[in-house]
Amino acid sequence: MTNPSAVPAAAPRGWRAMLPRRSPKLLVGVGLIAVIALFGVVGPLFVGDPATIRDVGLTPPGGDFPLGTTLTGQDILAQLAHATRGSLYIGLLVGVMATFLSALFGIVGSYAGGYVDEAFSLFSNVMLVIPGLPLVIVISAFVPADQRGSWTIAVVLAITGWAASARVLRAQTLSLRNRDYVAAARVSGEPAWRVIGVEILPNLLPLLASQFVFSVVYAILSEAGLSFLGLGASNSSTLGTMLYYAQNGFALQRDAWWWFVPPGLIIALFGCGLALVNFSIDEIINPKLRDVPKRGKQQNRAPQPAERPDDDVVLTVDGLSVVYQVGTPVHAVKDVSITLRRGEILGLAGESGCGKTTLAYAVNRLHRPPAEVTTGKVTFHDRDGTDTDILALKPAELREFRWSKLSMVFQGAMNALNPVITVQAQLEDVLTTHRPEMTKAQRRVRCEEVLRLVGVDVRRLTSFPHELSGGMRQRVMIAMALLLDPQVMIMDEPTTALDVVVQRGILREILRLRDEIGFAVLFITHDLPLLLELADRIAVMKDGEVVEYATAEQVYAAPAHPYTRKLLDSFPSLTGERGAFVRETSGSPL
Amino acid sequence: MRYYARKLAFYLVAFWAALTLNFFIPRLMPGNPVDILMAKLAQRGGTVDPAARRAYELLLGSGTDESLLSQYFSYLGNMFRGDLGVSVSSFPTPVSDIIAEALPWTLVLVGIATFLSFALGVVLGTLVGWRRGTWLDSLVPATTVLAAVPYFWLALILVALLASGLGWFPLLGGYDVVLSPGWDLEFIGSAVYHGTLPALTIVLSSVGGWLLGMRNMMVSTTSEDYVLTAQAKGLRDSRIMIRYAARNAVLPSVAGFAISLGFVVAGSIITEQVFSYPGIGSKLLQAVQNNDYALMQGIFLVITVAVLGANLVVDLLYALIDPRTRVSG
Repeated sequence: MTNPSAVPAAAPRGWRAMLPRRSPKLLVGVGLIAVIALFGVVGPLFVGDPATIRDVGLTPPGGDFPLGTTLTGQDILAQLAHATRGSLYIGLLVGVMATFLSALFGIVGSYAGGYVDEAFSLFSNVMLVIPGLPLVIVISAFVPADQRGSWTIAVVLAITGWAASARVLRAQTLSLRNRDYVAAARVSGEPAWRVIGVEILPNLLPLLASQFVFSVVYAILSEAGLSFLGLGASNSSTLGTMLYYAQNGFALQRDAWWWFVPPGLIIALFGCGLALVNFSIDEIINPKLRDVPKRGKQQNRAPQPAERPDDDVVLTVDGLSVVYQVGTPVHAVKDVSITLRRGEILGLAGESGCGKTTLAYAVNRLHRPPAEVTTGKVTFHDRDGTDTDILALKPAELREFRWSKLSMVFQGAMNALNPVITVQAQLEDVLTTHRPEMTKAQRRVRCEEVLRLVGVDVRRLTSFPHELSGGMRQRVMIAMALLLDPQVMIMDEPTTALDVVVQRGILREILRLRDEIGFAVLFITHDLPLLLELADRIAVMKDGEVVEYATAEQVYAAPAHPYTRKLLDSFPSLTGERGAFVRETSGSPL
Repeated sequence: MRYYARKLAFYLVAFWAALTLNFFIPRLMPGNPVDILMAKLAQRGGTVDPAARRAYELLLGSGTDESLLSQYFSYLGNMFRGDLGVSVSSFPTPVSDIIAEALPWTLVLVGIATFLSFALGVVLGTLVGWRRGTWLDSLVPATTVLAAVPYFWLALILVALLASGLGWFPLLGGYDVVLSPGWDLEFIGSAVYHGTLPALTIVLSSVGGWLLGMRNMMVSTTSEDYVLTAQAKGLRDSRIMIRYAARNAVLPSVAGFAISLGFVVAGSIITEQVFSYPGIGSKLLQAVQNNDYALMQGIFLVITVAVLGANLVVDLLYALIDPRTRVSG
């Protein structure tokens, strides 16, 4: 199934894709980090000696001391500048060491594979479950206080803090390792270090950056925690040791907030800045996480159903346009008008990205922002004589309409079934929602009934989707679509990704069920020859427009649009002899 | 079955690794811990008989002619018999007794607080991820700020404001000291009252991580095909959110919950220090301050075993909530 929300946005290419997008979050984050880093690097040059003791203990901020003094009259601003430098130093040390360790164990292990991977992965996992801080405390306790400097603390924190990152990196490397271009580089005999350096590392950069940022935050927070316990870098000055002295000088109890609050605030702001930068990095790794525009109020318009031309029509799409409201709006569907007759199979063909899936989803209002229906009408002409303007249905009415009048068959072989609940639960929740009056036993009977209709063993009800083959999952999808006896079924590439034999079986099943039950089908595929065999009428879409709309015979014998001819020519042997068979019956040798 | 066998093997290896770390750390460090210990013991008027010295040498190494290997095996033997040595700081109480007394406090306080934080974070993350583009989005940066604040700093400021300032909560301790510990209503009430503020600080500082993780997963799962199927099926929004999106999105959070248990027990050390709470964390710190190596090692071991046990339980639970793990292992 092509995802309609995957918009062909104007994405930057190459290395530019590695750079975070400029967003308010990123700007604030970078700003915070820059200001604090500058304070830590340059600040100590301009302030006085932080250790000078004066007889002006606990002076509130103002005058000579912009941030006040400690119990022993030391200048807090001076202390803060030196402590910030100390904390950043430790953060940087741990960041570099932990990132190096996690890259070593995560990337190298999973690239090498086999026993090395097993051993490295086991080691990372063991390090992960052995609790970090207690270990750090035990280790620190064995190191005499006068030997505990920034380096000791940094090494200990790096050793206890790399494992989680290694796991993340391993998972990502494993997936990269199987990509074609990496496999190609390996096959062509490039040395391992080169493959890792040239093919894998650049793709891991955003992830490495995010893990580095995470390590720095972890280190600064952990160092502060250790210092609070009196186990910090006792012979150097950090924000943590500053807080330790403030706490032991009863700063809060003496209402000397200016002593206690600033160091914590600097850590908090710095951590915040790094977290904001991390948000932006996450958005590179997973573009779905980008901010979405604020939801507008859904405007309800008065229903204006299209007139029913005759009782034979079940669905009218009239001048429908769908636009993806991105930077430069993309018109995915342009002024499309089609009608679907009762019991008919209408094929909708076109290459990927032509707008056929967007059209099909818009019919049932399954399109997601930024897709938006700008003009047009979709009307459902019910068997019982009412005409429904689908685009004007209120949310509750829409829910009721879906599946009971119009159901959909997605590409079940892929991901259309919920992987964590049983087939039965997924069939039954349609019934519990739409037919609340049914008893448990009745529901069970109906589920078994539809499964038998599509030729699936009823014992499969208790199976999970992953326990079924691709063809079987597709049959379950069709069974699900049949549950409420709908009048229209939209099928989106229902047989793509299945092998030819299974595909044949499913298509036969669809035709048989259509003949027995009499629903109309809107069948979407890129496979035009398949439609020639299956469909009554065919619409061919190109760049959002319907360029050809006629019966299957006409489309085959006398295609009106050059694009249709091109499509027909491009599939000479894909469906093998069956395709040729269709051609022969139409009587024109190709 | 293979899945469970692999898991079990992993935990055995991890447990052995923890035991070994415990054995080697004091031996790799400079100085002679046994001598420091004996001096401390003598200071407190303890009897330094050769048997006690031998026991400590076994625990901490140094000063024996025995080979490292045979020391290691005697040490493993002692551990399996549950013999963790004798505490120096509260001589001659066995380490295991001190741990048994302190452990329930930590388990209840940190256990409940962690679970609450996890549940709250997952529920909020579900809502934020599901209702993207609404005011709920602002919860993400807000809780991130809380997670970036040093925990003890936040806790101490809350204590200053809520306990010293407003007097809503007691300043410190696990219960009112005039009461004697027992299973009566008054004592339990006092313990709950004393535990509320510590629990609140734990939840506040850790909820952001859960929220962010769950929200990001929700964003990913809501664009999955099965959520679209559920919408096409005309199911109610709440049902789609819970049974289709959240049910799948929560899986990594549950796995993360297992991993975080290690950090949680670690965090309790600082919590207990801030609130002078009578749990395992404050005992560990007390051991550190008194160079009580036997107690330190014992507590580290118990924490490790607790974390491993909790991880094992979550792992087994994970196989229940994600049917796919049972086949793929």
